[in-house]
Amino acid sequence: MFNQIFKYYIKAFLCVLVCVSCTKDVDFNQFNDLQLTPVFESSLVYIDEPANKFLVNGNETSYLQDSVNIDFFNDSFVVDHLVKAEFLLETTNSINRSFIVEVDMFDDSNQLQHRFSFSSSGSPDHSPLVTEHLEVFENDALEALKNTTKLVFTLYILPGEPINENTIGRITLKSKGSFYLKIER
Amino acid sequence: MIKKHIFIIIILVSCFALSQNKQILYGFSDIPQALLLNPGGKVTNDWYFGIPLLSHIHVNVGTTGSTVYDVFANDGRDFNLKLQNAIYSMKSNDFLSINEQLEVFSGGFKIGPSYEKDKYISFGLYQEFDFIGYFPKDYAILAYEGNQSNINKVFKASDFNAKAELISVFHVGYNKKVNKNFTFGVRGKIYSSIMNANSTNNKGYFITVDGTNNFYDHIFNLDLELRTSGLTSLTGDNANSETALKDIKKRLFLGGNLGLGFDVGFTYQLNKQWMVDASLQDVGFIRHTKDVENYKVEGNYVFEGVNPLFPETGTGQTAEDYWNEIKTQFEDVFVVDTTYTKYTTWRPVKLNASINYAFGEKTSQECNCLIPDGGYQNAIGLQLFAVNRPRQPQLALTAYYYKRIFKGLQAKATYTLDSYTLSNIGLGVSANIGNLNFYVMADNFLEYQNVYNAQSVSLQLGFNYIFKKHED
Repeated sequence: MFNQIFKYYIKAFLCVLVCVSCTKDVDFNQFNDLQLTPVFESSLVYIDEPANKFLVNGNETSYLQDSVNIDFFNDSFVVDHLVKAEFLLETTNSINRSFIVEVDMFDDSNQLQHRFSFSSSGSPDHSPLVTEHLEVFENDALEALKNTTKLVFTLYILPGEPINENTIGRITLKSKGSFYLKIER
Repeated sequence: MIKKHIFIIIILVSCFALSQNKQILYGFSDIPQALLLNPGGKVTNDWYFGIPLLSHIHVNVGTTGSTVYDVFANDGRDFNLKLQNAIYSMKSNDFLSINEQLEVFSGGFKIGPSYEKDKYISFGLYQEFDFIGYFPKDYAILAYEGNQSNINKVFKASDFNAKAELISVFHVGYNKKVNKNFTFGVRGKIYSSIMNANSTNNKGYFITVDGTNNFYDHIFNLDLELRTSGLTSLTGDNANSETALKDIKKRLFLGGNLGLGFDVGFTYQLNKQWMVDASLQDVGFIRHTKDVENYKVEGNYVFEGVNPLFPETGTGQTAEDYWNEIKTQFEDVFVVDTTYTKYTTWRPVKLNASINYAFGEKTSQECNCLIPDGGYQNAIGLQLFAVNRPRQPQLALTAYYYKRIFKGLQAKATYTLDSYTLSNIGLGVSANIGNLNFYVMADNFLEYQNVYNAQSVSLQLGFNYIFKKHED
């Protein structure tokens, strides 16, 4: 009795499906072609220092330096999917002294992976002078970025008119990173 | 890891969408299961029982957005382009909904004095799966484009909105024919939740705006929560398929998170040919107390980058303090908190109402006269259906034609306007062979030419053993 009913049921079900439905060609393997290429931008570091910040105990120092530990670039997702990165750095200088901005990138065992620097000219009339630098990470530089766990920022002040407590002007740095991802099946 | 999987599955599933309207079955009084849609419906049998596990099988899947065919058609077009079109054409109110029911057992019988059995008791146990997921548009755009091309765009956290539940329902209904015009009924229900997951009340946003100290301020204002019950014990480290199956069986028979609810409805015969009826289904709740695990992300954070030369200013804050503060703020917002807070879910309430006109009385071939109480052979009518959903109610309007083709064979054809389509044609038949009743009904016939391109498809079928004293 039960088997009979079950057979009826299966037949009826198939009938309904076969009689009234058909499918056009679909190919679910296309999912393997999935490719996402989003671009994310993020603020990185910023600096805003008055001229007298370069005085230590009343004496002029030749550089300011500090480091940032970061475990983002060596994250496995980033390592797998980051295909290109760009750092845009922009200084605005109104001090009558030129600067060199240097960024050193170190890995876990403190080995230097990558270094770049650019100069920001002095402003004799203390009007804000804007300098931009674009560092592109591709190929070897990209691999170096993916090994990086520490960034060291150094602001070298180049020789010129001595700085005292009353020196006019300040130097600011803005920076952002653009991260080009490629996510595939 | 499991959390990650759950999230991924929900995100994938919510890219598509299904519904609960049973417009063909509603009012189809030849089929005992019509009483589940309106406990105050007309009863046409003396007693019945459903063939266990086969008495009511219902599946309904629907999407208001892109169809499977839109994205996966084997037409030589670039898949990523099709996906892109789908993402951009869908709105955050587009949804995928899936509803499935399987009756485990059911039965019913008339009671009352032998000269007038005007009451009817029906009962049963069925299993139901219900899912609705809205298209998480802002999340999709963020994953697809990133934020570079979306500076100043608000990405809404509320775009993630989905819920899924697997329950069993034990019910007993009471139907009373008060007089020849008025019938009413109620049905009490005990719900046993086997599994539940919902994330329907997310708030907040993410936005990137031009900053002051740096190029950008990234503003995170997030209040997201996924609540689950019945999942942890099945997916946890100690779970295996044997104990999981045992657990599920136990929960199926009232061993899960319990809830209560009711259905109520009536039928009123305005005159010999005009009739109105209405019902409310699943006014009820489930209290989730066992095996609860919730995941929450909450907090506000504005990120403008870091200042590597900040330390050693006059505030007395050391470099370490500065870094720890940033780390703590990040963790406060982005580390997922797991909580075990009990919660209550409400069942999706369904409203059905209809107005019906019967015509075409049966005539006897022998005397060419009307057969007394032979009943009308045709009916037409309008039905309204509404179901309460997380964002907004879903509505459907149906016009139907019902015919008794001959003794033991009835059919109903429907035309429905709903969220999915404006050309939904459905057809159902109920056939009696002796006391064995079989019914099958499906809608969206126009779309079966290519099921993958269907916005919605629903199918119901079942077998019952029906006993009637007075066959008409």
